[in-house]
Amino acid sequence: MSELYRQFAALHVPGNPVVLYNIWDVGSALAVVRAGAKALATGSHPVADANGWPDGQQVPMDFALANARRVIDAVDLPLTVDFEGAYSADPEEGGENVRQLAETGAVGCNFEDQVVDGEGLHPLDLQVKRIAAIRRAVGDRFYINARTDLFLKTQTYDDALVDQVVERGKAFADAGASGFFVPRLADPKQIERVVREVPLPLNVIAFPGAPDKKVWADAGVARISHGPFPHRALMAKLEEMAREAIS
Amino acid sequence: MSKFDDFAALHVDGDPLVLFNVWDPGSAIAVGRSGAKAIATGSASVAMANGAGDGQQVPIDAAIANAAAIVKAVDLPVTVDFEGGYGTDLSELTANGRRLARTGAVGCNFEDQVVGTDELYPIEDQGARIRALRAGVGDAFFINARTDLFLKAPSAEHDSGLVDRAIERGRAYTDAGINGYFIPGLADLALVEKICRAVPVPVNAMNLPNGPTRAQWADAGIARVSHGPFPYMAMQQWLTGQAHAALA
Repeated sequence: MSELYRQFAALHVPGNPVVLYNIWDVGSALAVVRAGAKALATGSHPVADANGWPDGQQVPMDFALANARRVIDAVDLPLTVDFEGAYSADPEEGGENVRQLAETGAVGCNFEDQVVDGEGLHPLDLQVKRIAAIRRAVGDRFYINARTDLFLKTQTYDDALVDQVVERGKAFADAGASGFFVPRLADPKQIERVVREVPLPLNVIAFPGAPDKKVWADAGVARISHGPFPHRALMAKLEEMAREAIS
Repeated sequence: MSKFDDFAALHVDGDPLVLFNVWDPGSAIAVGRSGAKAIATGSASVAMANGAGDGQQVPIDAAIANAAAIVKAVDLPVTVDFEGGYGTDLSELTANGRRLARTGAVGCNFEDQVVGTDELYPIEDQGARIRALRAGVGDAFFINARTDLFLKAPSAEHDSGLVDRAIERGRAYTDAGINGYFIPGLADLALVEKICRAVPVPVNAMNLPNGPTRAQWADAGIARVSHGPFPYMAMQQWLTGQAHAALA
């Protein structure tokens, strides 16, 4: 477990990002392993879609934990789990939930700052407490990829928004986060600034039409994940194949 | 018309219903969007998606929960690959059939191999098993009885002698109350046609990569063509290719 954690943490190299092609079950994990992946990451959205649930912690926690165990039993690579908001706004409860996740053998998780089932983001001081509580609960050898949802909550990606992102990133780092995840951040100049000012490996999400991986690497990105897009693309392909078979 | 009636009516000799097999609610939704008229799970696909081997390695609770989630996710009729019904004694089969029908599924596949062995149940035993399953699922439920004769023998041995045994089983299972007869592994169209003529219920063939086309199955008298594990395997291969490109 700690060897897998070390492997996983070491993959986060600014300028030479680890690519995580997100999975949702054992079968997809095995398919991505065969592609030569160095690590695996679940995405909560594809897990929800594959199982017929809406996203936003509609994946029951027990299912998320059992799914993590099944994947870990089936592969030798490090696994990080998209654990959404850790199934509690309360710092101690969230910490306990992530401790249970760490017990599955997962080496890390995504942990987001949006209010699940509510509006907006958690206040920064609360989010810092939540991250610190998780760190206390799991110890040093667990990769907390702290996500800010700032870019997901707006259509205006201006400098003022990046100011807030930087403020959150620095505070998350102080609270014990291992990495910083800003989904929908895409502009290389904005990425450069976040990389410069936030002392954590930066994770961005690739999407159809996103800048080339090399552009992001040159801007200092350390991790590129794919979120819901692999599952969506696969389901579109399945639909196409089924249409051919049926016609 | 009920969903069961809709589903049963889709089985037309010579104009087969095509079932592109799914494994989870997401794949059921995708196949539903393709214009499919019904949804069928494949047990091997479900097993692979969950990291289990085929042959009832997916525990019955998981199989039932998956069936219920798929029924909830789509409006189309759903038939479940229920393997050997997860039971060796008859009362167990009845109870398991009752659980399966409660998910809202309108039908199932039910096979005659002794799961985990190379043997088939003797015809009379399988007839009793079908009746026990029927007692659990009720009348409005499409039991697609599968014979594993052709899966257990290499295709070079798919001859008229084996076909005679398949016909004997198909007729006996019909007497036991099945709605359809499934002959996976057989791709020799002349032999398929012989079975379609001799067995009174709609016959289901399994499509194979590079095997007969839908039109050829139709000409042989087939009423249902399913795709077994092949959609899942194709998707896995495609996903690996996509991941490979993203990782490069």
